[in-house]
Amino acid sequence: MPEPLLKAEGIVKVYPDGTVALRGVDFDIRPGEIQGLLGENGAGKTTLTKIISGLLPPTLGRILLGGEPVRLRSPKEALARGIGMVHQHFALVDDFTVLENIALGTGRPADRALRASVAELMERTGLRVPLDAPVENLAVGERQRVEILKVLSRAVRILILDEPTSVLTPVETDELFGFLRRLKGEGVGIVFITHKLREVLEITDRVTVLRRGEVVGEVLTRETSAEELARMMVGAELRPRGRRPVELLTDIPRERREAVRTGVEPVLVVEDLRVPAEGGGEAVKGISFELYPGEILGIAGVEGNGQTELVEAICGLRGGRGSARLRGREILGLPPLELYRLGLAHIPEDRWKYGLILSFTVAENSILGRQRSPRFLGPLTVLRWGEVFAHARELIARFSIQAPGLEAPAKSLSGGNQQKLIVGRELSKEPDVVIAAQPTRGLDIGAAEYIRDLLLGLRDEGKAILLVSADLDEVLELSDRVAFMYEGTFTAVTTPAELDRERAGLYMGGMRG
Amino acid sequence: MRRLRATLRAVAESILAAAIGLVVAGFILKAWGYSPISAYIALFEASFRDLYGIAGALANATPLILTALTFAVAARAGLFNIGAEGQMYFGALAAVAASLFRLPPGLHLLVALAFAGAAGVLWSLVPSVLRATRGVSEVISTIMFNWIGRYLAFWLVANVLVDPYRAEKTITVLPGSRFPTLVPGTDLSYAIFLAVAVALLVYFLLWHTVTGYEMRAAGANPDAARYGGVRSAGVIVLVFLLGGITAGLAGATQSLGRPPTYAVYSGLPQISNLGFDGIGVAMIGRNHPLGIIFAAVFYGGLQSGARVMQLFAGIPLEMVRVVQGVIVLALALPELLRIFRILRRRRVELGGER
Repeated sequence: MPEPLLKAEGIVKVYPDGTVALRGVDFDIRPGEIQGLLGENGAGKTTLTKIISGLLPPTLGRILLGGEPVRLRSPKEALARGIGMVHQHFALVDDFTVLENIALGTGRPADRALRASVAELMERTGLRVPLDAPVENLAVGERQRVEILKVLSRAVRILILDEPTSVLTPVETDELFGFLRRLKGEGVGIVFITHKLREVLEITDRVTVLRRGEVVGEVLTRETSAEELARMMVGAELRPRGRRPVELLTDIPRERREAVRTGVEPVLVVEDLRVPAEGGGEAVKGISFELYPGEILGIAGVEGNGQTELVEAICGLRGGRGSARLRGREILGLPPLELYRLGLAHIPEDRWKYGLILSFTVAENSILGRQRSPRFLGPLTVLRWGEVFAHARELIARFSIQAPGLEAPAKSLSGGNQQKLIVGRELSKEPDVVIAAQPTRGLDIGAAEYIRDLLLGLRDEGKAILLVSADLDEVLELSDRVAFMYEGTFTAVTTPAELDRERAGLYMGGMRG
Repeated sequence: MRRLRATLRAVAESILAAAIGLVVAGFILKAWGYSPISAYIALFEASFRDLYGIAGALANATPLILTALTFAVAARAGLFNIGAEGQMYFGALAAVAASLFRLPPGLHLLVALAFAGAAGVLWSLVPSVLRATRGVSEVISTIMFNWIGRYLAFWLVANVLVDPYRAEKTITVLPGSRFPTLVPGTDLSYAIFLAVAVALLVYFLLWHTVTGYEMRAAGANPDAARYGGVRSAGVIVLVFLLGGITAGLAGATQSLGRPPTYAVYSGLPQISNLGFDGIGVAMIGRNHPLGIIFAAVFYGGLQSGARVMQLFAGIPLEMVRVVQGVIVLALALPELLRIFRILRRRRVELGGER
């Protein structure tokens, strides 16, 4: 086996907020090899590669380059030592031509000499882009090539690609793979970050699987299978939780809920919903489902597979085609306030973007989306502050929100209390349908459990709940039915009882059920 | 309680900022060999010692309160309406135009004010619609409209509203549509009450109506506002509507309420820059209608004091301007920083560099 180009030993990364992203990771990159780095959201893939490419310093551990310990203080330094990374989000100047963008990366003028060397590089690698086209005229796949060319023109020996296929069409993906194989033949060590099992099996030679900041497996691709990788990625154990065993909560209320459901109309019917993606193409590619009163329909999947777009389209924050009917009424394209009036509540995935206005007070936030309901709206749109305060006090009492006061800004609340405020506000809309997107993300265990209990309680009251979560354990624990979302479609819709974790991992990784 | 504490903190910050500004300006004066002490005595004595001084400060403050509100309402809603200047010109001229016909006194004043408000709105209409429907940056469009407005106003003064006997000015406003003078012998008219009343109304609108809640929500977090059902196009139109009215009224307070001229002169000498100064006043007042009232009086005092400083402390006009500039900048700094943050956020949203 050839000597590794780079060895990372015992890498620990603790973020300033106390999050432990990596717990002692050993990792090496070998010449002429494509290594897959596989893991769920938050497994530490991105943190690890950021450390290797000089973007972040490790808290503990060391990096050896050609056997020598090095400190990489910046991406520039890493590049100078032959380590290049292509990020998911491109850093290109739209108005510049391809050649000018490449020049910008190298610090050389965009002259004939550079043109010749880039042309030679394109010839050698098969990575062709029109050098004189402005970047803004290029397709996403072409822009990615420019990014790769930028890195390669610095004569790198290690190329790290962060989810490179997430923006590509299948044809572009095939082209990328062809080119990566060629590059491998030249002895470059390639790290390929992904959560797509099919791609890992197709392109890599070796796979390292991360879970919750630890390496849980390192296997040769030809000796493994999608099933084994899925098992390693999602783990075999359920999150330990003493007071509410999974069986207990799904079994007892279920019969009652089944009874409710039989002969009951679905409250939300989504048919062939299509939502355009920001960079072109479709983020949601024709999804259909029915949501019944008294059930939690969970949508599992790695983030970025269209869940955000799906939720935003249903909740009136994004345009979509197809149909979504709430109690028979078409709701696609209706403004949010109208949706809330019709009985929809939306717990948004991004608390700080949508859920709260951080500089507004607790009282002001407690009516966001309800500000025009008759209780708060007086003549001449005068705001009934007395009612607003009373309402905020009710929420604080009912959802045990810890707040310094009704007039304290929302940013002074802890994450858990902010989320309780949002959830409380949404439930105060007295909805029939609750769309809960990543409702426990970033919360401490106590607050997360509180929110989960609340969702179960709502279900038992007969509300219909759509739960979107990247936390597989959470989805499996709470849901009556689970759908797996992958690249804008459902790969499987099933019940947690019929599911083992290996199958779940396969569905999340793009295998169809 | 908490709100009171926040208010006190803002006031304390402003006082500290003013002190820092005075000290820094004092060093500058000292460095060029002038006595900061006598300069400052001249500055404050002139504007705040006697009734005449105070009346002068208040007269200067009157239009500034209104143009500052134009900026502040927009800033609260996350927009940057730089257009008060141009809108104010047309307010001043429309108020004059109301004297082309006769009406009973009093009613005539109200009609002239309505003309002024409508003219301000008219001049803000294009930037407003462009922003609401096409997303055209209101910063750029309002600045452009200031210039278009300026030269159009020159033309109107010289050709349409021109006094047939004196080509350098417009016709004189009829006595029945003038603001009565409040303190005889000074520039201060009843227009100050209009300015303060409008400020109080804007305060009520922003903090005691759902419309104001939605405007502030759009300014504080546009995404969350959308989630909360706020229609951004509606907010934009409303902001420009209010801004146009206040700027138009600001102009009217000058042509209808500033003795002795009661007319607009060619080149717009009496009203030029009132819109831009309003931006500074808005920032000193933290874009808060009540803060703006105090900030405008302070700013107005600084303006009349500057003249006295020049006369009695023997400080050249340029140096007076430097002192004024340093003090205003120090006071505006906290709000200025906040605004830069918002502008940067917007640039990132538009796809610029982080």
